[in-house]
Amino acid sequence: MTRLSVLLLMAVVVSALALVHSQYESRRLFMAIEAEGKEATRLEVDFDRLQVERRAQATPLRVEQIARQQLQMRMVNPGITQYVNTPQAKAKPEVNP
Amino acid sequence: MSRSVQLGSSPLLASKTPVWRSKMIVAAVAVGFMGLIGRAAYVQVIRNDFFKRQGEVRFARTLVLPASRGRVLDRNGMLLASSVPAPSIWANPEDMERDPVKLRQLAKLLEMNPAELEKKLENEDKTFVWLRRQMDESRVKEIQALDIKGVYSIKEYKRLYPEGEAAAHIVGFTNVEDQGQEGVELVFQKQLSGKAGSRRVIKDRLGRVVEAVGDAVPPEDGQDIQLSIDSKIQFFAYQKLRDAVQENKAKAGSVVVLDAQSGEVLALANYPSYSPDRRVNLSGEQLRNRALTDTFEPGSTMKPFAVALALEKGLVKPETPVQTAPGRITITGSTITDAHPHGVLTVNEVIQKSSNVGTVKLAMQIEPREMWEMYSAVGFGQKPQVPFPGVVSGRLRPYKTWRPVEQATMSYGYGLSVSLLQMARAYTVFARDGVVVPATLLKAEQQVPGVRVFSANNAQAMRKMLNMVTGPGGTAPKAQTMGYSVGGKTGTAHKQEGKGYAGHKYRGVFVGLAPIEAPRVVVAVMIDEPSNGRYFGGDVAAPVFSTTVQQTLRLLGIQPDLSVKPQVVAKAVEESF
Repeated sequence: MTRLSVLLLMAVVVSALALVHSQYESRRLFMAIEAEGKEATRLEVDFDRLQVERRAQATPLRVEQIARQQLQMRMVNPGITQYVNTPQAKAKPEVNP
Repeated sequence: MSRSVQLGSSPLLASKTPVWRSKMIVAAVAVGFMGLIGRAAYVQVIRNDFFKRQGEVRFARTLVLPASRGRVLDRNGMLLASSVPAPSIWANPEDMERDPVKLRQLAKLLEMNPAELEKKLENEDKTFVWLRRQMDESRVKEIQALDIKGVYSIKEYKRLYPEGEAAAHIVGFTNVEDQGQEGVELVFQKQLSGKAGSRRVIKDRLGRVVEAVGDAVPPEDGQDIQLSIDSKIQFFAYQKLRDAVQENKAKAGSVVVLDAQSGEVLALANYPSYSPDRRVNLSGEQLRNRALTDTFEPGSTMKPFAVALALEKGLVKPETPVQTAPGRITITGSTITDAHPHGVLTVNEVIQKSSNVGTVKLAMQIEPREMWEMYSAVGFGQKPQVPFPGVVSGRLRPYKTWRPVEQATMSYGYGLSVSLLQMARAYTVFARDGVVVPATLLKAEQQVPGVRVFSANNAQAMRKMLNMVTGPGGTAPKAQTMGYSVGGKTGTAHKQEGKGYAGHKYRGVFVGLAPIEAPRVVVAVMIDEPSNGRYFGGDVAAPVFSTTVQQTLRLLGIQPDLSVKPQVVAKAVEESF
């Protein structure tokens, strides 16, 4: 009887310790996933910001200024444009077997 | 047996104690324990939810998951407005560390002088003071590196507008709280803003999140809004307009570019404009979206409608002669004159030379009701179905109150008022062979059915007349553009001031379409109070039309319909040695 009690007591203690450990482990992992989630959001926001920055570098105003002033380019007009017509009917590419 | 306990050998303790005393102590201790057990049961079992909640209050926190504001895109998916993080810095003056060296560094990073910062932190009773809102992220990191106690940063977002002033009136802007204030940002505030979510978490002593409680409510991000605007066309239209307003020393100007087939607004620009990123000392003049919110008497740009109705009623044919000599006509006591008297003109030439007398003669044969119905059908006096703050419907009085002379003046554009967008939209009736479509600011997913106002034949006849306006002998040869046939109508209206007309204040207008055989775009230009000598619509507004049409058709990839002398050097001549 006493031996059984001691055995059960030990089992209870071991399971309690296991519980504490797994709780600790779960919190640790949770924190890790949380940190990763934060990093993901940060990267997403960064991506948005970079997109805006790229756009700001390529606004028509800036492109026009650089083309005109630095590259000495001028506006195209129909006089210096060669128009090439692609027949609509033949638009399907021929597939080689 | 004695009824007492011998407690010791000391004579002090030798006195006899009655047994009930020790029993009473045992009982008291037992009662104490019972109390504790009762309390424990109460805490653990009976009222345990209350204590659980109290515990949670102390370590569980509700975190707000902010929704990001949707972006505003142009028709090709280019960004017109987007949010980027811009943290704000705040301080708690009550428990702030006041190290003069650090404060000076802080002031420098905040871009304010130390005295200014001192003033903000003066009141030590306060627990919250904004130091600077929406700063650069890198700057904020430097401030955090200073590690001043009582100075904190909070995550906020800032709106960026890469197109700047070119699209300012369309896109609008938000305030520092991310609420739309103007333009699309205001109109679509609900769709753009989204809905913040939330989640419950448990934080440990160090403030780290260690566990989630229950289910999180995920944030609903704001939707992206895709406009019908093409940012390149918008930029060119704005640029040409700005140049024209400055060159003509005008007060203001507007330009509207419509896709003639779908009614989509490809560009809508006003000058003066503003930069939505740096809004300091903004005036109403700069903020106003004139093309939508200002109405004006359109002058001669109205003539094609009355004349087209006369064709539609079968009253005249394009070649029918109309006597306009001696350049005057009197209607119920009021005299209407032509600026340049002409003799007999065909209906074609009435439009080409913009004769008031000729137009009035045709218009007076039409019933007022029919004229009113046609004007309403093309949208005059009707609120455009464009969701925008301050869109006006213009003024078109009910036909029952028209006096004959008013019907006459309306036929050439006085006595009624329209906005530039209404004017552009009305011209789609000629571009689409007599069918008018509503204008839209959002990218159209499918074709909208239009309303037939004129027959296809009459609309085509009117296009021919509009084409003649830009040809030799017309009022707007400056509207011509290389490679593309164009057509349109000039308008030069006296500005109304108070009750009468201002002597030397004009508005030059040009509304037209291109290419003439199969129109793809309708462009309307208005220059307000040009004061550099020239003020005719054909002189101040038509050149803007010309360059805008040129760039728009090129960007839309439309092949020229006129033959151009090619300037392409296909093969260079070899240099002789």
